Amino acid sequence: MNQPAMSSPAATQGPIKRISRQERVSVVWTLVLVAIAFIVLFPVLWVGSFMFRPDSAMFARPTEWLFEPTLVHFRYVIENGFIGYLGTSFALASISTFLVVLLGTPAAYAFARFKLRFRDDLFLFVLATRMAPPICMVIPFYMIFSSIGLIDTYFGLTLAYLTFNLSFYIWVMSSFCRDLPVALEEVAILEGHSRFAVFLRVVLPLLRSAIVATGMLCFIFAWNEFMFAFMLGGQQVKTLPVAVPELITTQGVRWGPMAIVGTLSLVPVMIAVFLLQKHIVRGLTMGAVKG
Amino acid sequence: MKPLENRWYPYALLAPAFLVLVVVSLVPFLFAMFLSFHQINFGRIGDFAGWANYSKLMQDERTWNSLWVAAKFILIAFPLQFILGLGGALLLNKRVWGRSVILPLLFIPTMMAPIVVGLLWKVMFAGSWGLLSYNIVERFGFLQGSSVFSSPDYALIALALVDVWQWTPFMMLAFFAGLQALPVSPYRAAAVDGATPLQMFIRLTLPLMAPLMVVIGMLRFIDAFKVFDTIYTLTAGGPGTSTEVPSLLAYRMSFEQWRIGESAAFAVLVWIGFFILCSLFYHVAKKKLNAF
Repeated sequence: MNQPAMSSPAATQGPIKRISRQERVSVVWTLVLVAIAFIVLFPVLWVGSFMFRPDSAMFARPTEWLFEPTLVHFRYVIENGFIGYLGTSFALASISTFLVVLLGTPAAYAFARFKLRFRDDLFLFVLATRMAPPICMVIPFYMIFSSIGLIDTYFGLTLAYLTFNLSFYIWVMSSFCRDLPVALEEVAILEGHSRFAVFLRVVLPLLRSAIVATGMLCFIFAWNEFMFAFMLGGQQVKTLPVAVPELITTQGVRWGPMAIVGTLSLVPVMIAVFLLQKHIVRGLTMGAVKG
Repeated sequence: MKPLENRWYPYALLAPAFLVLVVVSLVPFLFAMFLSFHQINFGRIGDFAGWANYSKLMQDERTWNSLWVAAKFILIAFPLQFILGLGGALLLNKRVWGRSVILPLLFIPTMMAPIVVGLLWKVMFAGSWGLLSYNIVERFGFLQGSSVFSSPDYALIALALVDVWQWTPFMMLAFFAGLQALPVSPYRAAAVDGATPLQMFIRLTLPLMAPLMVVIGMLRFIDAFKVFDTIYTLTAGGPGTSTEVPSLLAYRMSFEQWRIGESAAFAVLVWIGFFILCSLFYHVAKKKLNAF
């Protein structure tokens, strides 16, 4: 039997497909991009290796690339209460995020949906609250808190965290709210449902993924926050970012434990970057750029 | 009247959040203003001082130094972030594989705790044994045996480079989002007319991206001005006052020297400056990007 004359070259070459010029180019670009990502992340990986690196290999000149791994730094971290600081960080970030979502969602919706008197001024006030440098806030906060006994309390720090997170949340959520079609809500109103029922049953379900994304960003901001926790916290409420620099002791710096704690603090960040992706650009540009 | 509208309903939705914001934002601001007009000794509020705190602040060389340091910091960091970010965004915009894995990884420097960023670079540039100190700084003879962060000449440059590491990925991904949103038809028309890629970039991409670039640039400028955590961990403002940006100065003034009155005055001025910057950002973003 004759071979069919019209068989394509790709089919006759079996599994080896012909690679087009365009695909070759994109292999090159992909490799360049991977190289860039590697260079950018290399410091993180290098310092990450300090988790298992014995002290002798840390300070070696010339640099030692290979070493006998050790777990001694982990023992130090566990014995010195860092698990507790981890818990404090987590609790504080969770509580403040929960409050932000609770208070912020209706406000963001109101900004997006309704004509308000002084809307621009109010909105700008929210933005300015977010943008103000933390040091400007911490000076009056410190004076107020120390006179009414709120230093080193969960309540005080949660309150302080609301400044940057509630304003951030309202601002970014209202950009998500504006994307919702108003028609659904109007139909529900005409069917005789109350306005608040419409907010709960129609608007909130549509906003669910936006709430999760923005709330997660708030969690990260609270988790990473240093200045407020440093000045307004203390022995009772000590978060991870405040505890880490304390590893710089008078007897020298404990680099190994520092690498472990730093890596621990990276865990929620890693989860967030993979889950949120495009929302991050939107969040970090205050909703100005829709990722 | 549209069915959803109502006179009091939106205000009821806003009220809880605004009550909180007034407590956590307006009250501290007004209190800082109150403090700035008083004499304050070791945390105790004394007599009314008029403009004394402000005039002391204006006569202090360190105030002007801090603004100059911030200006230098931004002048080094920002152009690099902008150019590298734009280049990276153009690269991301090519046909590449695995973008959904690489993109999130690139966000890590921007999203990780700034305090950890600081410690990370403290390790990289640790005097004599740090990876970069031993293999680059010493080998090429910039410095011997000490960290770049303790050199009055290099500390600020090194801090700016850390900022570049931290924020270039953000610029890159924001610009990439902008590139993805560009309309296709002008490029088709240009291709039909035989335009080269460089011509398309200069004549189409740059003008179409300009509004976004302005908005991102403003945002980055605002953020760069308030940097604290990384500088606090890496140099704490030193050596001397060579890396003392405004946030560091305010911190040292208030919590190391307890000059609370002056630092409250400083905070009020910075606050007002930021308010102007913010409203500028708001109006530009609203007009140019149709945002908000």
